[in-house]
Amino acid sequence: MATTNPLQKALDKVGIEYKPTEFPNCGLHCSLVLEKEQIQPLARALAGRGFFIETVTAVDRIKEDIFECVYLFNHYDQSQRLLVRVPLPRNRAVQPSIGKIFPGAVWHERETTEMFGIRFDGCPDSRNLLLPEDADFHPLCKDFSGVS
Amino acid sequence: MTRPISKTVNVPVADGDGERYTLKMGPQHPATHGVLRVDLELDGETIIKCSPQVGYLHRGFDKIAENRTYAQSLILTDRLDYIAAMANNVGYCVAVEKLLGISVPLRAKYIRTIVCEMSRIASHLLWLATHALDIGAMTVFLYCFREREVMLDLFEELCGARLTFSYPRIGGVRQDVTRSFIDVLQQFVAEFPVHIGEYETLIDTNRIWLKRTVGIGVLSAAEALELGLTGACLRGSGVDYDIRKHRPYDAYDLVDFEVPLSNDGDIYARYRCRMEELHQSARIIQQCIDQLPPGPIISEDAPDLVMPLQGQRKVEAGSSTYGTGLIRLLEEHGQYPVGDIYVSTEVPKGELGFYFISDGSGRPYRMHVRSPSFIHIGALPALAEGSMIADLIANIGTLDVVLGECDR
Repeated sequence: MATTNPLQKALDKVGIEYKPTEFPNCGLHCSLVLEKEQIQPLARALAGRGFFIETVTAVDRIKEDIFECVYLFNHYDQSQRLLVRVPLPRNRAVQPSIGKIFPGAVWHERETTEMFGIRFDGCPDSRNLLLPEDADFHPLCKDFSGVS
Repeated sequence: MTRPISKTVNVPVADGDGERYTLKMGPQHPATHGVLRVDLELDGETIIKCSPQVGYLHRGFDKIAENRTYAQSLILTDRLDYIAAMANNVGYCVAVEKLLGISVPLRAKYIRTIVCEMSRIASHLLWLATHALDIGAMTVFLYCFREREVMLDLFEELCGARLTFSYPRIGGVRQDVTRSFIDVLQQFVAEFPVHIGEYETLIDTNRIWLKRTVGIGVLSAAEALELGLTGACLRGSGVDYDIRKHRPYDAYDLVDFEVPLSNDGDIYARYRCRMEELHQSARIIQQCIDQLPPGPIISEDAPDLVMPLQGQRKVEAGSSTYGTGLIRLLEEHGQYPVGDIYVSTEVPKGELGFYFISDGSGRPYRMHVRSPSFIHIGALPALAEGSMIADLIANIGTLDVVLGECDR
């Protein structure tokens, strides 16, 4: 039977399994861990189905030596919030940009770049946003201890 | 409300033979509402490229919060959107309550709904006042501030502060409302629709206002969604998305209200949406006052700031910097929940979301604030490019941004 859930439809299109989570407990309808190659096809599938980007950010998992790039998508009509986490190696964190699919993601990606040092490949604008333009430190990394 | 007939606005197309030049507008420009600088590339008066520069108020909330307990970070949220700090406080508290599994007493839910809507009124009034001032309707400024003052006086009576409140607490609110507070508020709500009518008479038939808002800064529903706009900016483009209706928190599922929509997507449409929201806010407050139940105002499990809530709870003040409630939680549950959580609320500007990653230590491993102003300023080039420089002022105003929230 065909599903009416827009999130499940979008995930089916790119061949990702839909695993619902307990929404009342965590505010998320679905939480996924994906490879970095999957993010652009997924964003394209979501973009045409009434989804919008809520935020892009990252987490520094310094003990595991990875960054987790975090995406939050939501549907304006059906309230289907999707959280996607993409693990990236800490020393060469490069992630494909979704800035051309969701223009609203560009500023989030710029912020993530300056705060964590994750490079977004193909981002239309990669200048510093909140930090000074000559800042070369990444303050939200767990090993950041201030500038002298 | 009948809509004035829009005449076609001829946006002058850059002819290309003029000399291009760059103009850095701000960060001290009065119309940029705080410290926003906009780098403009101009051909005559037409904007070819618009690039907002933010970060002047960046204080690093995400990082500060990592080194504080959940209760201690509450005061940071006052400094986000300082025009409507109550709504920010409530947004933060709702998120932490969900993370820690604290249930809020019904009376506190109602009180928080009241203060949220009061801050919506205060915020929308400031928006209308400055927006109108920016584009040439000066009188309305003083009228709006007259009513906004009542709101601030009431907040002062409630918690002693007029700007940074920290009145809502994780698990409830700080103090109970007084009889005189309710009386003044009741009177205000009854009279407020008349005042809204006064603002409308000042600007709805004002030719300058209409010329500068109707048909300017148009965003289609699809564009608004792509840019991630929320709040009145999205509803002005005809998208029915309001978190108070979609995922109700506090007492929003217990009161009756409508979500104003407009399909035109221009500055005038967003203005109409916000004006209708003022009516709805007054309606919500009235219902909350009528339904306000007796009972406790803060949960027994509530983590506290270092200062205890005297007489409100059984637990005594502890000596630890964690505060008593947190110690109790720690003892009863062994540790804090582990995992990630995202909770969003509808603040006057749009969707304010808090993303927490908890590692069970009592301090967030990572806190991310999804602030509406940040996304809305990011959408400014989409509105401004190709239009006249004078319309940029109107476009900044219509997005209703606060830079404290944008920069965090």
